[in-house]
Amino acid sequence: MAQQLFPVTVVGSWTRPEWLVHALRRRQAGEITAEEFNQIADDAVLAAIKYQEDAGVDIVADGEMRRDNFYSFVVEKLSGMRLMKLSQLLDYMKDRAGFEEILRGLDVPAFAIKSPIAVAKVHGTEEGIALDEARFLKAHTRRQTKVPIPGPYLLTRSSWFEGLSDKTYPKREDLAKDIVRILRHEIEGLKRLGVDFIQLDEPSISQVVYGDEAEQTFMCAALGSRTDPTSELEFAVRLVNETVEGFKGVRFGVHVCRGNWSRKENVLLTGNYGPLLPSLMRMNVDQLVLEMATPRAGEVEVFKEYSNEKEIGLGVANPRTDEIEKPVQIVSRVKEMLRYFDPPKIFLNPDCGFGTFAERCVNTPEIAYRKLQAITEAAEILRREYH
Amino acid sequence: MAEEKELNGLRINKITAILDSMRDDPAVLKAVTGPWKSRVVWQGGFKAKAYMRKHAVEMDEPDGLDASDSAASAHEQLLSAVGSCLTVGYVLNATKRGVKIHDLEIALEGNFENILKWAGHSPAGNPGYPTIKAKCFVRADADEKVLRELWQAAVDGSPVTQTVARPTQILTEFEKV
Repeated sequence: MAQQLFPVTVVGSWTRPEWLVHALRRRQAGEITAEEFNQIADDAVLAAIKYQEDAGVDIVADGEMRRDNFYSFVVEKLSGMRLMKLSQLLDYMKDRAGFEEILRGLDVPAFAIKSPIAVAKVHGTEEGIALDEARFLKAHTRRQTKVPIPGPYLLTRSSWFEGLSDKTYPKREDLAKDIVRILRHEIEGLKRLGVDFIQLDEPSISQVVYGDEAEQTFMCAALGSRTDPTSELEFAVRLVNETVEGFKGVRFGVHVCRGNWSRKENVLLTGNYGPLLPSLMRMNVDQLVLEMATPRAGEVEVFKEYSNEKEIGLGVANPRTDEIEKPVQIVSRVKEMLRYFDPPKIFLNPDCGFGTFAERCVNTPEIAYRKLQAITEAAEILRREYH
Repeated sequence: MAEEKELNGLRINKITAILDSMRDDPAVLKAVTGPWKSRVVWQGGFKAKAYMRKHAVEMDEPDGLDASDSAASAHEQLLSAVGSCLTVGYVLNATKRGVKIHDLEIALEGNFENILKWAGHSPAGNPGYPTIKAKCFVRADADEKVLRELWQAAVDGSPVTQTVARPTQILTEFEKV
């Protein structure tokens, strides 16, 4: 099926109703089973799908409604991982003083940052990571589907922690091999289910370039140990390419943003995509799903040298603001990118999800819905002009 | 026998009985009132060790001061003492009101007003913290109004916080041995 111009999609997460967050807490406390939780979450997913479909979204996601956040949910899907609060990791932290500065800069408590830590050999299961989400989504929409999964660099970087992981995996690279193997298995499963678009979430890549220089850092709550930026980016490219190698018949995207844990723009990272593009363009994926609505993402001119090299999932609405973007503003933003990319190369989406963290959603469903509506209206205007 | 109820790691009946005995039994009140004691012994360089009842805490200074930085410095431990005392107070007040706490964290910081006085370069001013900031982060089963009330009760009732916040006489003596 030919893709119409300027397809509208989402980055993944939808804002969570209070009753779902309550059920999530009860599940985490062991008061209800995963099955009971999933029955409750089914309603939330159906609502998320309906919001997207009513707003005119072409490629829909399940809203990540079953996840506590965009990546830490894997602890329930993989053996050998334990979800640990940063406050539990402080005893193992090498550069505690440096980390304290980051926490203070972000004005967050250590207990709010949770990371899946590899504490034993990591294994996947036949249940997969997001196969249940994909199966339910496919059964309840006739639109094209997108499933975001944590990328290999994000998962490796966030879950290898010296003092806890190194008994099983002496080096990060050792853990990366298992992560890539598990993600490849997941991709096979998602492909079998007929998912159209698989998005690898790699927000911590931006921390390499724009973030603090501390050895251990976090980005969107993804804790991580890192080396120098060049080696880190090389590592990220290699892992993404190993993960997607050989797969055909499904669209792959990599999502990179600068943080979505707070509505305070000044605590999120800032910088244009220029320093990242040489690496991102070497990733063997179809699309880069990028935030461009926030001024923190900088200017589009940095794409000049990479004209039409990939599809761009262009972020045209800021998920963290109350103001609804005007369709004409969105059209104007898209036209800036059309200087470097042909119309079939541009997809439209918000900058990031609306509920990256279940307990810290950045907007209401009503505003999120109206933002999606504005994007689809802009897409209609563009389609009329570029048909 | 009735099951002993626990909340926030405390036995509710037991803690309630202890608090009541402080009010009702002068001997308990006297024991809790003090004197509380610490003995600090120099360990060489900028290191010191404080002995309190059956406990010992080490202190040192940062390596920027040509010290070994083997432990936190005394003024950092003062911040920690304020934060720890506020933690105890918060948990006590929450437990009394039946509020379950999931996570509690207090971030403290202070800037010296004139550290040059400590260094011997300035005869005047306050070498200590004129202000200490203490920010409480809590995740607990109660609405924000209740949680804020608990925080205020913790601050108002904290012996360490109130010692630091008020002019406290320190009666020094000296003896050459």
